[in-house]
Amino acid sequence: MKFIKNHITFIFPLMAILIGLEFYFVFERTTKNYEDGLKNNYSMLIIAHDKVEIKELQALNKHISTIEEVKKDSIVDEISKGLKDSSKKSLSKLLPHFYNTKLDTYLSMEDIGTIKADLEKSRKIKSVETFDNSHDSTYKLFIFLKFIFKIFILFIGIVSFFLIVKQMEVWSLTHHNRMSIMEIFGAPLFLRSAVMYRIAIIDAIISSILISLVFVYLKYNWVDSSGIEILMNNRELIFQFSDLVKMLGISIVIVITSVYLVVSNLKDES
Amino acid sequence: MSNSSVINASFLNLSYDDGTTEIIKDANFTINKGDFVFITGPSGSGKSTLLKALYGKLKPFNGDLIVGGLDLNHIATKDLQKLRQNLGIIFQDYKLINEWSVEKNVALPLIIAGYSKDIQHTQAKRLLSHVKLLDHIHKKPLELSGGEQQRVGVARALSKNPFLILADEPTGNLDEYSSNVIWDLMENACEQLNTTVVVVTHKIPSVFTIPYRHLIIENRGIYEIH
Repeated sequence: MKFIKNHITFIFPLMAILIGLEFYFVFERTTKNYEDGLKNNYSMLIIAHDKVEIKELQALNKHISTIEEVKKDSIVDEISKGLKDSSKKSLSKLLPHFYNTKLDTYLSMEDIGTIKADLEKSRKIKSVETFDNSHDSTYKLFIFLKFIFKIFILFIGIVSFFLIVKQMEVWSLTHHNRMSIMEIFGAPLFLRSAVMYRIAIIDAIISSILISLVFVYLKYNWVDSSGIEILMNNRELIFQFSDLVKMLGISIVIVITSVYLVVSNLKDES
Repeated sequence: MSNSSVINASFLNLSYDDGTTEIIKDANFTINKGDFVFITGPSGSGKSTLLKALYGKLKPFNGDLIVGGLDLNHIATKDLQKLRQNLGIIFQDYKLINEWSVEKNVALPLIIAGYSKDIQHTQAKRLLSHVKLLDHIHKKPLELSGGEQQRVGVARALSKNPFLILADEPTGNLDEYSSNVIWDLMENACEQLNTTVVVVTHKIPSVFTIPYRHLIIENRGIYEIH
């Protein structure tokens, strides 16, 4: 019973860190997904005197991702109803070049203003039309929530780490007699604390698997009934196998650090 | 220091609390290879403290203390670990690892030195047979009597053929039979393997068959009785 209690008091704070971490991964992916959606729906219109190449635009601002020239014919047809063909041709020659431009990432209106200013520095470019982003407020809310979430996870992480170190101190008392005898006989620090490293790593593996199972359950049994559209449409955002690998890596680093912190500060009483 | 000296103390001062509690003052002595040395003295005279200093548990406050050619005043952690791996240390309270089997306890110095499991097993079996505890090889120390536990402690001390055995009141809690077994084992180690043995004790055993030296700690000094 004491054995189980000792492990639970170690595994729980570790799980708290891992839950926070996994929520962070999910939130990151969701935000990225949302950003991609916004990015793909947003474009700027470049009006140029001459033809321009994408490389020229990218040299002016690195956020330019793609350009697509708007065919002049459709514009001429629209504005030259009733005119002669020769007049249409003259009109076509007089018209500037129009380009639909997409960006490589979703940016704020301030950043888009900067891009506009950068592009308009070119002599070839007559003007750049940007459009107000109706999603900007939602996006800002997302960024704010992400920031709050990071702070919250950091706080939970710090508190949980202290709990892990405290539990490690309890373990070190349990193993103190063996460790001090091994020290007398010349065992190096790593060898005499090997049991603690082993138990801690096993608990890190157990914690990572448990959290993964929880999120796998959420992915396949909860998402559909959650009513959260972005998750319902993108189930893969909830849990990915790489998350287990990341959690395993991070939890092992946490437990190894906590064991080292405790055993390296042990005072031998023998 | 002569080539055969295993321990050399010169103007050795040992103290606790950064020098405020002086235990040993300006002690000079040499212990050579193959010597069997008893260190006696009244309770609280500093016998166990001296032994702790000999295995590097307590740093000399002043003076030199050289064990196995290593200056314990300026020894690096790695060198101290190496030194301890080549010592056999026996305690009055046995200091066995209670959650380990008797076999694993005996093999502890071999485990630390990284010997293979086969060697650990063979050596533990040989020594346990020597101390007449082979039947208890898989038992835990707390299943044994005090005398038996101390025999396990002696077997552990001998398991890596140390160049120096340090024993702190090894028979302090034992009956006469167990005490005699322990003394026999240490005599054999000294006589047959030429191992240096330093024993801290209240009283030198009445039946002792090999020549020995006797150091006494008195009034913070260490003197040899001839």
